Order: sequence, then C-alpha cells, then structure tokens
Amino acid sequence: MNEQISMRVNSARLSGVKGRTVRLPCKVLRLSDDIAIVEASDGGQVEIQRKNVDMTATYVEVIGNVVDASTIKAMATLPLDSEGELDMQLVNDVIELTFESRFDKLFPRYKDT
Amino acid sequence: MSQLSAGICRRLNEAPQEEIDQLASGHTVQLLSIKKVAPTTASTTATDRFRIIISDGVHFVQAMLATQLNDLVANGDINKNTVVIIDKLACNFVQDKRLIIILDLHVVSRNEEKIGAPTAPPSTQDAPAPAVSEATSSSVTSPATSSSTGQAKPLQPQPRTGPSGRGGRSVYPIEGLSPYQNNWTIKARVTQKSDIRTWSNQRGEGKLFNVTLMDESGEIRGTGFNAVVDELYEKFEEGKVYYISKARVNLAKKKFSNLQNDYELSLEKNTEVEECLETTSVPMMKYNFVELSSLEKLERDNTCDVIGVIKEVGPLGEITSKATNRTIPKRDLTIVDMSQYSVRLTLWGKQAEQFAADDLPVVAFKGVKVGDFGGRTLSMVSSSIMTISPDIEEAHLLRGWYDGIGTEKNFQSHTSGSSGASFGGFNRNEMRHLSDVKESQLGMSDKAEFFSTRATIMHIKSENISYPACPTQGCNKKVVDLGSGWKCEKCDKTFERPEYRYIMSMAVADWSGQAWLQGFNEAGLAVFGKTADEVHEIKERNEAEYNALMAQASGVTFNFSCRAKQDTYNDQTRVRYGISRITSLDYHEEAKHLVNLLKSPWAQ
Repeated sequence: MNEQISMRVNSARLSGVKGRTVRLPCKVLRLSDDIAIVEASDGGQVEIQRKNVDMTATYVEVIGNVVDASTIKAMATLPLDSEGELDMQLVNDVIELTFESRFDKLFPRYKDT
Repeated sequence: MSQLSAGICRRLNEAPQEEIDQLASGHTVQLLSIKKVAPTTASTTATDRFRIIISDGVHFVQAMLATQLNDLVANGDINKNTVVIIDKLACNFVQDKRLIIILDLHVVSRNEEKIGAPTAPPSTQDAPAPAVSEATSSSVTSPATSSSTGQAKPLQPQPRTGPSGRGGRSVYPIEGLSPYQNNWTIKARVTQKSDIRTWSNQRGEGKLFNVTLMDESGEIRGTGFNAVVDELYEKFEEGKVYYISKARVNLAKKKFSNLQNDYELSLEKNTEVEECLETTSVPMMKYNFVELSSLEKLERDNTCDVIGVIKEVGPLGEITSKATNRTIPKRDLTIVDMSQYSVRLTLWGKQAEQFAADDLPVVAFKGVKVGDFGGRTLSMVSSSIMTISPDIEEAHLLRGWYDGIGTEKNFQSHTSGSSGASFGGFNRNEMRHLSDVKESQLGMSDKAEFFSTRATIMHIKSENISYPACPTQGCNKKVVDLGSGWKCEKCDKTFERPEYRYIMSMAVADWSGQAWLQGFNEAGLAVFGKTADEVHEIKERNEAEYNALMAQASGVTFNFSCRAKQDTYNDQTRVRYGISRITSLDYHEEAKHLVNLLKSPWAQ
C-alpha cells in the first residue's frame, strides 16, 4: 500500500513535485468560490482549486495535488491562525531546511523521485 | 686658569663599563667640593671617606675619593676648586647607579676660581643638551639626587622654569614618586574628584575626599581628611591641571583604589596645590577599552574601561543597602558596541539621579567594575569616570558605526534573559539538558551554581503544594494557626486569614533524563495560572477538581532557570535544584533560535 507522503513546500519547489501530494503553508490573498490565490512562504503566488474546501482563515496549510508549477488542487486545509501574524520567513527557513540532504533520515521523501 | 678636559664628565656619566676603563687617566678636572661622608658601616676602622664633585667646566659629576688619597685632604693638598689630573679611576655599577671612584690623581693648581658654569649632565635617558639654568650654588647640592643617572625610574633633573614664576621647580613624573623622596612637585590633571564622604565608627568620625591625578607617566590617588577637606576640596576641579607638592607618599591601600600605583598621596595641611595654566603636556584621560564581547573573559570584581552607545536608559530606581539601611538611587543603562554585544551598566547616587541623555550618546567609562549577575554586568564605583561624548577617536568611530548600521543590529546580550529581579535569567545559549546537569555535579561544591534548561513537567507532588504565609508585603514567613487567627513570628502580627504561597516539588524530564525541581510562588503561578489561595480553596472544596488541575499541569514544557545548591536536612546532604525563573515557551522565539542553530557551523 502506498504510503501517503506529503512534503511541505513553497512556491519555488512546486515544479519539482508535479503530480505529488504536498502541503503548502500560505496566506490567503483572494478568495472566490472555486479559486483562491495564496502567497506561499517564499512570497510566490499559487492558485488553489478549492471546490468545497473551507479556506476562511488568513493563514492556512493547503494539502493537495500539484497540477503544475503554479496550481494546486486542494483536498483539505488546516487553519494556521494564532495570536499575531505567522512568521512566513521562519516557515520558509524550516521548509528549506527539511529538503537539505543532511536531514534525509528525518523527513520522509517521495519514493522513486 | 687651567684648561679642563671639557666633556669628560659627561662621558663619565654616560659611558658603559668597558669604556670607562679606557677613560681612566689623563683628564684635567676641577674639584668643586669635597665632603666627608659618614662611613656606611659602623665598623671599627672608622676610615673617612670623601665624596667629591669633579667638574670639567661644562658638567659636574659626583665621585668618591679612594681612601688611599685621604691624606691629600688631610694635608690640605686638595680642597675646594683645586684643579687636578686624574691618573686612575674606577667605576662601580651598583644597582643601576654608577659610582665613580678616583684612585689616583695629582694636583695641577690650587686656589683657582671655579672654572666655567658646570651643570648636571643630562640624564642618560635623553640625549639633548641640558637646560642651562641655575648655575648657582644650589646646583652643587642637587647633583646629589640628579647625577645618579641610570636609575630604573628616571628622575628628570632639568628644572623647568615654572610658568607660575616659582622658578626652578623640578617636576617629577608620577611614576617616580616614592616615600623616600620628599622634595618633589608633580604636574597632574585631576581626572576624578570624589564627593565628600563622612564616616563614623567606634574610633570616631570624620570626612574625606579623593582625587585621581594623572600625568604622562601614570596615575596616583590622593586622599585628604578632615581639615584638609575644607582647605583643598574646592581648589581641585576635575579636568584641571595642578602643581602639587609636599603631600605625603604612602603605600597604596589597594582595597580602596583600583589604580595601578603602589603608592598614594596623603594630602596634608602643608600640601601645596597650585593651578597650572600650561596644560598641553598633560594628557587627557587614558583609556584601555575592552570590547563588550570579551567581557566574559574578565573575572568578577575586575575593573575595566569600556566605550559604547547608550541604547537604553532605565528609570531611576532605588535600592536599600542592607549594610546601612539607607536607600541609594540607581539607574541601569544598556550599552552596545561594535562587537555587537550589549551589557547593562549601573549608575549610583547622584550620577543616577542626574543622568540625562535624551539622545543616544557615546559614553566612555573608565574603571567600572565587572560583575557576574546574570552573565556579566558593569557597575560604576567611586573611582569610575563617565565621560559623555568624549572627543576621542573610538567615540567618533562608534558614532559613525551606530548611526550607520548599529540601530538595526540585534545585540548579543550579556544580561542573559531580561533584566528581571531574580538572578540567573534564562540563558538560551547556555542551556543544559538534565543528564548533563546531574553528571557535571552542579551544586555539589559549597557554592550555588546556576543553569538553564528546558523540560516538561511529569509529576507534581500534590500533597503539599502551598503553605500559609504572612500577607505582609515582602514577608513570606509561614504563619501559625492559633485558632483565633494566624500569627507571623517575624512581623509579630496576627491575621484572620493567611495568604497561601506555592511551595512545590515537581519531577521534570527532557530527552536525556529527569530531575526534581523545587518551585516557589512564581513557579506555581506559571504552572497553574491560578493563585495559591485559589488552588488551596479548590483542594478543600473538590478533590476531583484538584486532581484534574494537577493532571492538567503535567506534560507542559517550560524554560527553567535554576539554582543548584547543597542542602543538609536531617543529616542528609543532597543537591537541590531551585527554580529561580520559569517561563512558558514562546515557540516563535525558540523556533527562530533553532533555525539559527541549524544554520550555524556547529550544525554542519
């Protein structure tokens, strides 16, 4: 059975994981019924296809499938709001760190890359 | 008139041993004086010894007459102003001093006038020609001190014509002062003048003040007591230069001063202090600045000089001295410098009250004391000097640096943790894990030791979580239930109700191990979020709710600042870890710190 692995990414990393399930921590910029435009932790904008998925918080982690380098089809979201703003710079630092080869053993990587 | 061998005296004064042997003979000199000196040893052979002054018309030097020539004096063959030719001489070097001994001579002529206007030869330390002055009879006696060249601490024998008209005052360097010389004058700047302080103890009472005097050669402290205070206190002004003479040179009481000098001056009734208007040669403050980042290398109680930009000025506060029960004003400043470190510096007394710097000036501090309260702190002592916006290169550099990039910089603080009331603030950089704390046997020595750690509460001993305490502000003593009220022994007051305060034992653990920590009231407040009174009430009222509260507190992680100390209870000695500070985790801060740590060389 396939392990469901979803790595946390930012907008730049989307191109490397086309077709995979990812998690994208982001800030919601524009919301409409079918589409949301969000800003990822590295500042890049991504389009989220969000039929029936709740995205009413300001900061949100979108779990979904990568359609292309700038589009994700959302499956679920996690609200990330708390007191004060979410430090996206810190989030981005963590995302970049998880991809470093010295931490290969710590974080699950996609199989057969 | 005979022709003297000009230049020979100077040569005799300066030449090294080997050359002297060659200079030995054939030179014509005039004997300016012959004096009998007391024999150095009270020996049986009371041979007279004669000290003579020989002159070559340009300079004079001291010499001893060899005993075999004593007859010449006795016979009157040689006396004052006799011109002789040296046949043989020797030079002994005794402790950096040279002693010329005339071993043989023959007379050329007697009863001559004094030839030339000989002066003391220049001291071997400096080359240029001597100041020609005072060729009066006084110069014959002064060679006693000045022609002994080659001393370790060079005295400058050339009299400087003092601008104040007191001609012929020879200014000594402060370095050259010693209790063995009384006839000196120093020209120094008052770099610091203390307040008038009064004291009173069993032996009596009085008042005193101190000054720090500085010239090119060094610094020395001067103290005046009682009557001298009235006379001299107003005379001395900080920053001005004075001629000072006739003070007593004593051994320094190092306890009261942090200056380097072995000696200090006692200003007495007959001490002369005269303002000097020619101040160019006397330097302004001499500093030896230490970078704030290297303060850790200095031990507590050392003094140092620092310079930095005042980043923060604390409010004026007060502290009660336990010793005198008097309140002393204090104020904390935070200074930063180019090493990107910050440190807290405390001002006291009048300085704290008068400190007014609205902008963020560069301030130089000389002689501040290093403390180890929560890392490193600095404190002004009575001999410290604070100069705001000094006109020195380091200050200008700092100003430029701070205005340019300094304002945005984050500074590494020596005040680990915020300037909280309790000592040993949380130091993230020096955090230990619990097994490390136990293995390094912290607190096993007699002294209390501090550490910081992050751990999760596993269990709180819920039987005894608080005690009834005296409600009086500042008194936390346990009060006794008399039935009719609760009595505090210390305050001698009875209260209807006590104020409960937390006293808890809790087991905490991290990835490495477990330890028992003792927490007091502030720890309890942080852990439960309720006052001890409230928790006590819950315990009495509803045990289930109380247990739920205890359970809720478990599993929560905190940052702890702890104090490890040995404790003896019923013959058993154990190390106890007391919580001096407890803080909840700010995940944001901690995460940032972790990211930095991962990016640092340590993690690569």
